[in-house]
Amino acid sequence: MNKQTDITNWARLLHVLLLRPLVKLFSGINVTGKENLESLNQYIIIANHNSHLDILLLYYLLPVSHIVRTHPVADKPHFSKSRFVFRLVDFFFRPIWVTRGKPDLSDDPFGEIKRIIDDGQNVIIFPEGTRGVPGEMQHFKSGIGRLMSQYPEIPIVPVFLVGPERALPKASALLLPIWNNVIVGPPQLCVGDHREITRHLEDILIELSRSESARRHKRSPQEPRAVKHIAFLGIDGSGKSTASRMAAEAISKSSRICLVSDELQFFEQGEAREIQPLMTEKLRRVISGYAKKAKSLKLYKIPKLMELLLRNKLLEEAERWYSPDLIVMDGSPLLNLLAWSVLYKKEEIDRETCTKALAVLSGRGGDIGHDDPIFNRFPELVHMKRLGLTKLALPDIVVLIDLLPEVACRRIDTRGEQKQVHETADKLERLRQAYLQVCEVVEKDWHIPTLILKGERSREDLCRASIDFVMKSIDTGPE
Amino acid sequence: MGGTYPEVWAMTDSIATISLVAIFSALSIIRVARVFIRKRFPFDSYLGYSWLFFLSLTVAELISFSIGIWILALVSFWAIREYFSLIDIRLQDRLAIFGAYLSIPFMYYFIQIDWYGMFIVSIPVYAFLAIPLLVALGGKKTEGTVFSIGSIDFGLFLFVFCIGHIGYLSLYSSWMAALLVVNVLICDAAICIVRRKIITVWGRLIASYFLPVPLVVVISLALSGWTEIPDQHSVILALMIPVLVIMGHQAGRYVKADLGIKEDLLIPGRGQILDNLQSLLYAAPVMFHYIRYFLK
Repeated sequence: MNKQTDITNWARLLHVLLLRPLVKLFSGINVTGKENLESLNQYIIIANHNSHLDILLLYYLLPVSHIVRTHPVADKPHFSKSRFVFRLVDFFFRPIWVTRGKPDLSDDPFGEIKRIIDDGQNVIIFPEGTRGVPGEMQHFKSGIGRLMSQYPEIPIVPVFLVGPERALPKASALLLPIWNNVIVGPPQLCVGDHREITRHLEDILIELSRSESARRHKRSPQEPRAVKHIAFLGIDGSGKSTASRMAAEAISKSSRICLVSDELQFFEQGEAREIQPLMTEKLRRVISGYAKKAKSLKLYKIPKLMELLLRNKLLEEAERWYSPDLIVMDGSPLLNLLAWSVLYKKEEIDRETCTKALAVLSGRGGDIGHDDPIFNRFPELVHMKRLGLTKLALPDIVVLIDLLPEVACRRIDTRGEQKQVHETADKLERLRQAYLQVCEVVEKDWHIPTLILKGERSREDLCRASIDFVMKSIDTGPE
Repeated sequence: MGGTYPEVWAMTDSIATISLVAIFSALSIIRVARVFIRKRFPFDSYLGYSWLFFLSLTVAELISFSIGIWILALVSFWAIREYFSLIDIRLQDRLAIFGAYLSIPFMYYFIQIDWYGMFIVSIPVYAFLAIPLLVALGGKKTEGTVFSIGSIDFGLFLFVFCIGHIGYLSLYSSWMAALLVVNVLICDAAICIVRRKIITVWGRLIASYFLPVPLVVVISLALSGWTEIPDQHSVILALMIPVLVIMGHQAGRYVKADLGIKEDLLIPGRGQILDNLQSLLYAAPVMFHYIRYFLK
């Protein structure tokens, strides 16, 4: 016991003589509303969490006598990576160690925290759970509400921190001297349902974030122009190229349209305009030529994949160089790729796998771990992820022209061109099923407006229906 | 006969040093008194920065020039830290900002070893070449690069390079630097008074020039024995300094407004340091180069 007191006294001394002057001289700190904290005896501090500096700043606030009786809640596995760091953190802050995401099932998940509070000590909690995107506040985890609903008599002191997210952001080990502003809000007593408490506390922090001392210079906002992508899908011979072209022409009466089809075109005021040629487009055409001449599905695979990736690159470039309002695509690199992989797999693929693959390919699968079964099903995804090829554009509006393969084959025959390797009735049928499945995923799981048209209708009819749908979806927005 | 002349010089020299210490002590007393008198004066932050400069000069005079110059480096650091805390930086600019901080010792070292040629190119050549590269190395986002380079370079130039000129001036003579600081302080005080009393733009401009000029001229002439600036140059400088201070204020006002600093709510870290130093930013380099061109 005596030794313990010794250690805490040392910690307190070092806080006052070392850490506080360091924060003050190296980083600089301004505190607004410190009086909110001074009159209190026991409290719980909540703060936004952006950086490892946060905890130092919060300790800077505390009255000296409270340093040893205040404990932050910290994630044990995160700090256990290095023994030295763990010891250091344990010495200075004596945190309440918890394991994130894995509540102790044997007893109350708040057991240790409650013991500390019942003991009359103070607790520091970061209700966002973890350090988030720099400068953005995440939604609070419900834990704070659940805990506080059991302690209606203990005041909560909301604190908003500005500066640490730039001085030491999450992904960086370089500590910069940047001035910190600490805004202490008035103490709150929380009564009610745990959901209400969580929401209430979140609102208070958001309000603090709008206060004068949290404000900062902003460059004139340059919102990235949201160019909507409209994808026309369908099996070969379904008439999607014609439909996309007609749609592009029709919509371009009121806006600037870039059509990414077998060739790249630009439409303005209802007619095609001459455009500056793009290197990527030329390369894509050459590769597409190889793909069309391929003798077997196996030989078809690589050039087709490259063609799709180049087509995706083309979308970015078209956006940058031609600055269109809308991009109309004959096929979508992402969805085509997915449909083709379903075709190649030759087995039933359920909707969940499809959704996950879509998430990975479109670069939105941040929360899908490396050990996810999806990577066993599609080993190609691992390679694509490693090569950084998983940033395929997800279209904003999807139109699928659903045509029976027999009809499609007949149409292809009448074209008189050389037949591609997959243009047989049974393969097209599988491809059609794959497209239908992809569209279902896109519509149900990603909430993207999707229209499925029966391909047997006349061209004009198809075109009119798709244009009506596109116009309606643009007006109502993507959500 | 031959022995008295150096003796007289030695005496005025020691008087000069004592006066420097006296000014510093007076400013220190004011600062200490500020702790006990809770009331805030609108002008006392200006006295605070003058105190820092006199601390640097007194240390340079009494103890060692090297230590004095590094105190000044610290002032530069505080100023640019405040500036970097206020501007909108992208996360990937952090590397360049780190480089900007490193250029402070880089430049002050050349002042310390009295290498003028390198001092004068340290930031405008080498730091300005390094920063665009560091911005480019910091991340992949190209949007906003030009603004980032511009705003980091600008801060570095004003708050490190321009303040550094005071250091080089104090290398020539502590009293030259002291004269600059005192004169600028007087002009600042005049501008503070004028801003409260006069509303019209032209009235303000004329008053902020002509109010401090007599005092500045008198002080410059009175101190010319210690600063070793000939009288005619003292007068020219004294007529120039108020103009430069007004220019600094005008430029600083726009910068502060863009950074979202309220003039009535200045605290360290939110504009106070920038506000206090803005009048030196023009005066220091111009006075330094004037002296270097005509007198050295």
